[in-house]
Formats: sequence, structure tokens, C-alpha cells
Amino acid sequence: MSNEKILTASGITKSFGSLIAVNHVDLEIYEEEIVGLIGPNGAGKTTLFNLINGLETPDQGEVTFKGIDITAMSPHKICQLGMARSFQVTRSFTQMSVEEAIKVGAYNRKNEKEVQEKVEWVINFFGLEEIRDCKCSDLGLASLRKVEVARATATEPNLLLLDEVAAGLTSAELLKLMSELRRLNKEAKIALCVVEHVMQMVMSLCERIFVLDAGELIAQGVPEEISNNQRVIEAYLGRGSYGKTSSAD
Amino acid sequence: METIFQSVFSGVLMGCIYALIALGLSLIFGVMNVVNFAHGDFVMLSMYFTFWAGSLWGIDAVLTPLVTFPLLFLFGVIIYYGLISRTLREHYTIQIAITVGLMTFLRAITQLVWQARPRALTYSFIQGNIQVGGYVIALSRLVSAIISLIIIGSISYFLNRTWPGREIRATSDDLDAASLMGINYQKTYAIAFGLGSSLTAIAGGLLMTFQQVDPTMGLRFGLLSWCILALAGLGSLPGLLISGLIVGVSESLAMTFWDPRARLLVIYLIFVLVLWVRPRGIFGRK
Repeated sequence: MSNEKILTASGITKSFGSLIAVNHVDLEIYEEEIVGLIGPNGAGKTTLFNLINGLETPDQGEVTFKGIDITAMSPHKICQLGMARSFQVTRSFTQMSVEEAIKVGAYNRKNEKEVQEKVEWVINFFGLEEIRDCKCSDLGLASLRKVEVARATATEPNLLLLDEVAAGLTSAELLKLMSELRRLNKEAKIALCVVEHVMQMVMSLCERIFVLDAGELIAQGVPEEISNNQRVIEAYLGRGSYGKTSSAD
Repeated sequence: METIFQSVFSGVLMGCIYALIALGLSLIFGVMNVVNFAHGDFVMLSMYFTFWAGSLWGIDAVLTPLVTFPLLFLFGVIIYYGLISRTLREHYTIQIAITVGLMTFLRAITQLVWQARPRALTYSFIQGNIQVGGYVIALSRLVSAIISLIIIGSISYFLNRTWPGREIRATSDDLDAASLMGINYQKTYAIAFGLGSSLTAIAGGLLMTFQQVDPTMGLRFGLLSWCILALAGLGSLPGLLISGLIVGVSESLAMTFWDPRARLLVIYLIFVLVLWVRPRGIFGRK
């Protein structure tokens, strides 16, 4: 891991009324690595994503991306700097075709002449040839998630935040997605941060894992450390469950 | 029979212009969900600008959009940044208060500047009539309808085939997702509002080739735009055009066979009926 830090979040805190959704979380992501962000439902994972990519502004703490302070920056500027994300609940451009939706992402970096080339590359990379002309509103969940990842990839990010891309996929679809994400990481040199409930995916895909519980970062480390960490097991299965095998959801 | 045909045809021609006006409103409402009650008064304002350009500098009404189009675009952008953008995250009643205020303001200003009496231009080079198989068609209306169709087609091309157009559609679909694709939604909204306003400049110019203008006209155009939008639903351009024609023809038939004063009544009747029977419109998505 000789790479430079690409993202640093230090002491970020966000409350909604009396609920502290994210509490003094520090995390850093290095260039070209794959990290996982796990935790029980309601642990604050999606809120943390929102704070990082500008949909929400933290009450305290700061976020730096490529050495630039992006704490209060608007999402479109952060995207132009090189960070993209997909949503847990798919949010596609329903009235557009798959190809068009990807094109919208590609315009982030490309002008009218280069944009089609990028779109072709993305469609080819994710194997979307067959559904390129389908309307997004007609697609099933698995395809929609893939289109979202493809659309985010088309913006040419250096860091891609993926919010539960594997939820609801069959195991065959999951394996295919994982191999695509690995290739994306290796070939396009994109750092990935995945929020995931599917442990099989997190454990085999990620180099490092952060664990969030009730808004606090309770553990971080390589997958083996995390799967043997007592606090993590307690967070998932409740106290007194130490020793049982961990599986979420 | 001849009267019916004449009336329907005249309604069809007006319907094209109505569709153009409603397209402007549809851009504003469909993209940023802002209920703009002042839209009809933008048309009225454009008609006065056309009157001014015609009577002061002798510019033909058909040509004034060359000047008023950028003017109204700028006006829309200023209104957006000055008034609308501040209310985006507020309750919709605040937006209604703001645009109704703007409507009242524009009406009062025009009454001050141009007085309440109707104004009209005496000449346009698309005046006169042509005869097709025994029917008389006013050239100004025919040309206006054709120009409206061309503009509607161009807007369709702009929205579907160009970068800013795709940005507008993406933003209207999902604001957050669009922001995360690097789209500056404030800029996109300003363009949509500017474009929506500037379409009234074209409509205003065309209307002045055969109509007069008075400060209360905004009500009629505002009402019929909302009626067309309610009929068409959001997101369907052909639907918008057909709805424009329905409103134009109904209005024309009412004026021919009932009473010229019944035109607003008929439009409002359609509006209420659609909201009652089919609130999402006839052609709308979802």
C-alpha cells in the first residue's frame, strides 16, 4: 500500500435532531485500494457516504479529497474532482435509455466528440450491449444496479462509493459483479469504497474494512482481523454471542 | 359544415401556439417542480415588448423574437436566481406566493407603462388571407402555427440530443443523482427557467401579428397553459402538442357556436374535468 491517501475524513459528526447518526468518525482511503464499510442496519453507513460526497454537510470535522478540503463543497463539484457514487435505492434516470443515462455521466469529463467513445467503453466493460436501448424504467433490479455503477464509472472517478450494490442479487450475479469491480479497480485504477451487507463479497473483495455501529467507528483492519473482532461480532449478533459464526442479514 | 371546418382549422392553428406557450411552462414545472403562476404574464409582457418594438422602431412582429428571445431568457434567469432559487427548499405555498406576487407585479407595471387599453400593431408582412379549396385562412395564423411547430421540434431536439438538454432531463428525473454526475443543478434550473420564459417571447411575437394585447391577458394564457399541461401530463412532447390542439379547437368551437365570451369558461371546464377524471393527464408518464 505504497499509494497516497486519496480521501481523509477526520472527526466527522452529523446529528439529525437528537439522533447522532455519525459520531467523530475518522477514516482514510488510499489510491487504488478497495475498502469495505460494514455495520448493522442504521449504523450510519449511508449518512457517512452522504457526508463524504457532499449531499449532507457534517456538523463537525472535515473531509479532504486529493488534498482539497471538500467538507462544504457541493456534490457536482466533488464529482468533477473525481468522486462518484451509486445509491442503495437505485436512482436511475427513468425516462432515459441505458445508453443515454451513461452518457449523462460521461459528460462530466468528456466533450461532445469524445463522449460516445467513453460510453462505448463503459457499455462494453459492464456487458450492457443487450440492454443499451432499454428504458431505465423497464429494467429489473440487477440491471438497474449495474447501470448505476456504469453511470458512475462513466464520470471517470478516482474514488467510487458503492452503496449496497450487491443487495438482492443472485449468487451468480454477485460473482459476476465482483469480478467486474475487481477489474474496474485494477484496469481503470479506481479506488472503491463499498457499503455492503453481503459478507461474502466484503470479505473476499476488500483489502481493508471499516466497521460502523450506532454512528461510531468500532473497528478497522484487514478482513481476518475484522471477522475475529469481538466488538464487531457483538455489534452484529448482540452481546453474549461471541464464538458463533458471523453472518449479517 | 363549412363553418365547423373553418372553426376547427382556426382552433388547430391557435392550438400550435398554445402548445408552444405550454411547453415553456412544462419546462419550468416539469424540471424544477415550481408552480409558476406568472407564466401567462410572461406572454403578455412579450406581447408588449413586441408592440413596443413594432410601434417605436417599426420592427415586424414576426422578427421581434430575435430580440425578445434573448431578453426574456435573461429575464427568466434573473427571476430564477433572484426569486425562485431561494424558495426551492421551502414549502410550495411560498413558491406560489412568490409567483403570484410576480404576476401581480407584472400586471401592475404594464398597466402603468402602457395603460389599460388594448394595443395592437397595424401591420405585419405575414398579413392577408390565402384560399384553400374555398376556405379562407389567415396567413398570419398559418405562419405562426408553422413557426410554433418548428420551435417545438427544435426544443425536442435540444432536450433529447444535446448536452444541456440531457442535463435538464437528468436533473428533472433525479436531482441528487444528477448532482453526483457532476451536474450543477442551479445552472441547469436557470437554463430551464430562462428557456421556458424565452419561449413566451416567440409566442408573444407570433400572437401580435393578429391579436391585440391588454394587461389582463396573462390570465388567459396562464390558465390555458395549465390546462394543456394537465391534459398532457409531464414528459410527453407529442402529448403536449395534441393537448394544445384540443384546447385550441375547443376554444374555437365554443367561440363559433356558443359565445365568444365563453372561451375561458370552456378552457377552465376542460381543466377541472381532467383533474377530476384523470389527474395524471392523458399522455403523462407514471
